[in-house]
Amino acid sequence: MQFFTSLLIFSLPLPLLLAASTVHAGEVTLGTDAQRAAGKENYQKYCAQCHGAEGDGSGIATPFFNPLPRDFTSATYKIRTTESGELPTDADLKNIILEGMPYTGMPGWPQFDDEELMELVFYIKTFAEDFADPDAIVAALEIPEAPPFSSESAESGKTVYEENKCMECHGLYGRGDGEKATTLTTDAGDPIRPADLTKRWTFRGGPTREDIYRTFTTGMDGTPMPSYADFIEEEARWQLVDYVYSLSRETANYSDVIFARAVEEEIDLDSPEIVALFGDEAAFIPVVGQVIEAEREFFPSANAIGVRVIYNDDTVAMLLNWHDMAAEDSGTASPIKGDIQTTSDAVAVQLPSEPSHGQTRPYFLHGDSQNSVNLWFADLANELSNDGARLFIGKGSQNVMAVEGSEGVIEAVSSFADGEWTVIFKRDRASDNALVFEEGQFLPIAFSVWDGFHQEQGNRRGITSWVNMYIAPRETQSFIGPMLRVGLLVLLIEVLLIAWVRRKYKRTPG
Amino acid sequence: MNWLILLPVVAVIVGLLFTRIGLLGWVAIVWVAVYTVASYAIIPPLPSSIVGLTMAIVTVSLLVYISTDESKLASVRDPLVRFMVDRKYQNYLIAVVATIPVLAAARVYIQMNQPIEPPAVGRTIHPAPPQEMSFKGKKIDLVNVENPYRALEQSDPQEFALHVEQGRRVYFENCVFCHGDRMDGEGIFAHGYEPRPANFADPTTIVMLQEGYLFWRIATGGPGLPAESGPWNSSMPAWDQFLSEQEIWEVILFLYDYTEQRPRAREHHE
Repeated sequence: MQFFTSLLIFSLPLPLLLAASTVHAGEVTLGTDAQRAAGKENYQKYCAQCHGAEGDGSGIATPFFNPLPRDFTSATYKIRTTESGELPTDADLKNIILEGMPYTGMPGWPQFDDEELMELVFYIKTFAEDFADPDAIVAALEIPEAPPFSSESAESGKTVYEENKCMECHGLYGRGDGEKATTLTTDAGDPIRPADLTKRWTFRGGPTREDIYRTFTTGMDGTPMPSYADFIEEEARWQLVDYVYSLSRETANYSDVIFARAVEEEIDLDSPEIVALFGDEAAFIPVVGQVIEAEREFFPSANAIGVRVIYNDDTVAMLLNWHDMAAEDSGTASPIKGDIQTTSDAVAVQLPSEPSHGQTRPYFLHGDSQNSVNLWFADLANELSNDGARLFIGKGSQNVMAVEGSEGVIEAVSSFADGEWTVIFKRDRASDNALVFEEGQFLPIAFSVWDGFHQEQGNRRGITSWVNMYIAPRETQSFIGPMLRVGLLVLLIEVLLIAWVRRKYKRTPG
Repeated sequence: MNWLILLPVVAVIVGLLFTRIGLLGWVAIVWVAVYTVASYAIIPPLPSSIVGLTMAIVTVSLLVYISTDESKLASVRDPLVRFMVDRKYQNYLIAVVATIPVLAAARVYIQMNQPIEPPAVGRTIHPAPPQEMSFKGKKIDLVNVENPYRALEQSDPQEFALHVEQGRRVYFENCVFCHGDRMDGEGIFAHGYEPRPANFADPTTIVMLQEGYLFWRIATGGPGLPAESGPWNSSMPAWDQFLSEQEIWEVILFLYDYTEQRPRAREHHE
């Protein structure tokens, strides 16, 4: 393994050298003055706010986005069809403008037609002299069509994944939680997160198996993601593609309703079976930055939270899952704005303090002065069963208070494994100063996630909107009875009608 | 309009003029035709209550028409009576009598197996603004207020462009995360907020509104909405906590400039 690591390190510049010695001069395409001028006009209107008027990646919005906007003067591009270290092709540049990169600040620009895209490309290329050098222009690699997916291939890919140390950054199950994950930087020295390989809809270079193959083959220039073109044979690369593919879901499939399911069993947080009791199906809720009130968070680490809710006669329990690069389980956390130096990870469930009147709800950011919210808060650094889980009342973000004497009202357990937090909350269904979780009822519910790694506390956090939680009734209503009743009633009416008609018209000739 | 449905229905109705069909058949076809158009051919679909009302009116009208004279009534009544009384139709009668309860029961089944949907929430997207508002203690008359920099567009285009540029800075430091680079409400956080951020590129949003209205909505945000607009769900910040009065007017200039739209003119009352 040691040998392999050193081979990897020493041979990284190799593709560069090889490329420089073997390329044939390509065709330089810089467009006409008129094309570049037209490109400049659209660029200055639509692109300069992030990529900068001079193309150096420092625009008005640059400080608020991560990954950072591309610096065009560096001529370094992540998503290409060319070998590692080479310039992208015109088609690569056009494609990325058209499609954008999901879950980054770069949207797609479908309003530009092919000519306008070409003009933009010509203008963008003026920022780096390399594009004018015939020796620097290379042809695109041919990306072969993907062989059919097979689970055997994915199984072999797991070995390729491990041999090539993909988990050092991406983690064993691809959740972006490798041991190096929190230390990674771009070539320019800016922090960068490894991709969460379980969320295919967030893949910057696209979700298809050809896209994934291309990323392994070309690498992502300027980032710690190298090219594996020289280390992994083509067949093994497709196996790796299939493994990554098998780790991930295709779409986020976000839910707007969480179903609370009835269980017969006792809900005991210390039971080894407790996680299994929640079943497999989780509602998946998007998490975004709190950018609405002061102390804004533009870079929340979590982008989604999985929620499962169960209840029995007297207890309701929620299991929450989300991905995190690493567990910050020392220090402290608080939903109240403060100046905690060492921040730990934390999570909160938010529910209205009282059943709502009509459509009225508390304000979705920790309630308001008229309608308060209850926060089931868990500081994941603490021994949760003691005082890590606490009840807070929110009457607005500036007015969140711990409820005195609420110790033990909320119970919670937590664990962190392979890049995923699992937190289970539990409380009585009916207790003083609480919402009653009535069957057949819809309740608004929201979540907050604080990442200790980013010193998140108080308002600086990932949030969700209000979503609906439906307490699915224990007894599902049988539809046989109502169907029979309606059917028989209709039949009776028919028979009576016909009997009446026959009696009346019996003697009328037919 | 769904022409694929509407045109065949019209064709059938026109065809009726050239066919000799009993009054009963005619009534049945007209009823079904109106129902089909009301339920399926109109886009966006009519609410079911409106369809129900329409069908009630059509049913009554047809009944009135049938009963206008004895021969019409007989031509509808007699075939029905024959069908129910005459022995030669007995098997068909049994089939019909058996089918109708089954259909009714099937309808109950479908209704009881609807996926569970959260209660629908009505929301007024553009509520009526108040007459005046207070911005950091300063009273602003929303009925008569004008964007103080709008006039520069004619009198001093260079100065105007500077204010638009200031508005661009405000937008890309504050608004872009939700309303997006294309101002289509598809910013990086938009998918996490419900209701979704407004789409300014849509020709039915800011074009329909006066600049004073935008000022009110931007300055007071979600918390400033009346109850009918669901202020508790809105993720629009109250920007008076982050921006100055000048910055809000400037970002309004930029919204129209970037989307190449014009604000709705204030109505002048004589």
